[in-house]
Amino acid sequence: MFSTVLLFREALYGALVIALACSVLGVYVVLRRIVFVGAALAQISSAGIALALWLAGLGLTLGGEAEPTVVSLLLTLVAVLFFASGTRGRIPPDATIGITYSVAAAVGILLIAKAASGEAHDIFLSGNILGITRRNTLVLLAVTVPVLVLHAVFYKELLFVSFDRETARTLGYNVRGWDLLLYLTLGVVIASAMQFAGVMLVFNFLVLPAVTGLLLSHTMRGVFFWSVVSGLVAAFAGFSLSVPFDLPSGSAISAASGVMVILAWFGRRIVARS
Amino acid sequence: MAPLVTFDRATLGYGRRAVLTDISFEIPEGDFLGLVGPNGAGKTTILRALLGSLEPLSGTVTRAPTLRFGYVPQRDQVDYNFPLKVLDVVMMGRYDRIGLGRRPTNDDRRRAHEALDHVGIDRLADRPLADLSGGQKQRTLIARALVGEPNVLVLDEPTNGMDLVATTQILGLVRELHERDGLTVLMVSHALNEVANYVERIALVVEGGFRIGTTDEIMTEQALSQMYGIPVEVDSFDGHRIVVARRPTSEATANHV
Repeated sequence: MFSTVLLFREALYGALVIALACSVLGVYVVLRRIVFVGAALAQISSAGIALALWLAGLGLTLGGEAEPTVVSLLLTLVAVLFFASGTRGRIPPDATIGITYSVAAAVGILLIAKAASGEAHDIFLSGNILGITRRNTLVLLAVTVPVLVLHAVFYKELLFVSFDRETARTLGYNVRGWDLLLYLTLGVVIASAMQFAGVMLVFNFLVLPAVTGLLLSHTMRGVFFWSVVSGLVAAFAGFSLSVPFDLPSGSAISAASGVMVILAWFGRRIVARS
Repeated sequence: MAPLVTFDRATLGYGRRAVLTDISFEIPEGDFLGLVGPNGAGKTTILRALLGSLEPLSGTVTRAPTLRFGYVPQRDQVDYNFPLKVLDVVMMGRYDRIGLGRRPTNDDRRRAHEALDHVGIDRLADRPLADLSGGQKQRTLIARALVGEPNVLVLDEPTNGMDLVATTQILGLVRELHERDGLTVLMVSHALNEVANYVERIALVVEGGFRIGTTDEIMTEQALSQMYGIPVEVDSFDGHRIVVARRPTSEATANHV
């Protein structure tokens, strides 16, 4: 069974990199209660891929396999600027997210329906984890490493503005600027992962590992640790089971991630009782 | 000595809507000022202008170049879902001094412990913030403000939602910080009766009206009746002043109906 998994090891490496990046950023997504901003960004990012494929169908292409990711990235960054810019008059913030999510989903499906290439149907659900090549993994790493370095270097600034923005502002912090940095890193990670992981798995990785971390630890360091560990374990376990049983890898990883949350929840109850 | 903050004929508000018009006052060094008024009267507007997050619509708000606020937000403004220990939270008060991208040193940790000791809860340093009582959370936020070595301590509704014991302890602690450490203090509160017996000056904000003076000047029946627009009585009990609205006479009630 394991030999079959080894056959797809490049895809597994890619899935692990996506798990790593998303599970770190997910801690902020969950703590800042912007879970549905994550969902909306993922949906917009997938609409970007659909747009690139539709354009390709029309013969409007610059060439290169990275094009869907580039279009997706541009569209996601526009959305990032939109979300990071704050409130919009009379429309409540969560309604803004709902509108963005629903319109992006509809437009994505419409574009795909008219795109010449049929391979992209999966981006809205399970993605195409098995399609990840070594080159893709290197691109994912090239995005993930700088993002994680930024988060490590500016950890205390990002934490402060996330925890208590008003007080941070009185100490001279440019709260909007730090918000923008956080959202930008989020957008870049989502857009680069979308083509392979799909909306469901990216959204899952932005929420579930962080929740597992919060169930298992009382410190930020511990939450990051358990979030990353549970994301990586879910990616490995889900992937390893999906290949021999011929299951969609993205969904299998998502389900494994759900199992991690349930285990953490029981684990916490057991520890609390003893 | 130049005042730390000067409001000079400042009109404050949002967009084109003025909440307070033409207010002037100063916060000199060593002041112990209560900014008091009902919710919605404009306390937060003054506070935001003072802290610099709201520009006046007209007039000026000037802050001394050396000014450093130690801001204590309302307790429910911080998010207790964050898995932070008490010491982690206090340390945030030094983040800007530690510098961009740098980590706290042992000296920073020592100062954070000292600040916690100063407010009497160093024994709780390693406890999760979320596990603390309301009063302990408030002390944590005060310690965080102190650790940045401010010259003005600004507290926003520090006793909101607290019982009598915790309220008395927190107000006592704030007075001690003023008297013992010589800290300039601005305390924002909707509870005149609580604040009046601790602060030295009161700035009263009532529905667009603004009046500032020493506690003796403000806590008079005449001044308060005028501000609130109803007859008010100021009683003294065991050295504490208590403000009560006079019960309307049956005749006055009849006139209102």
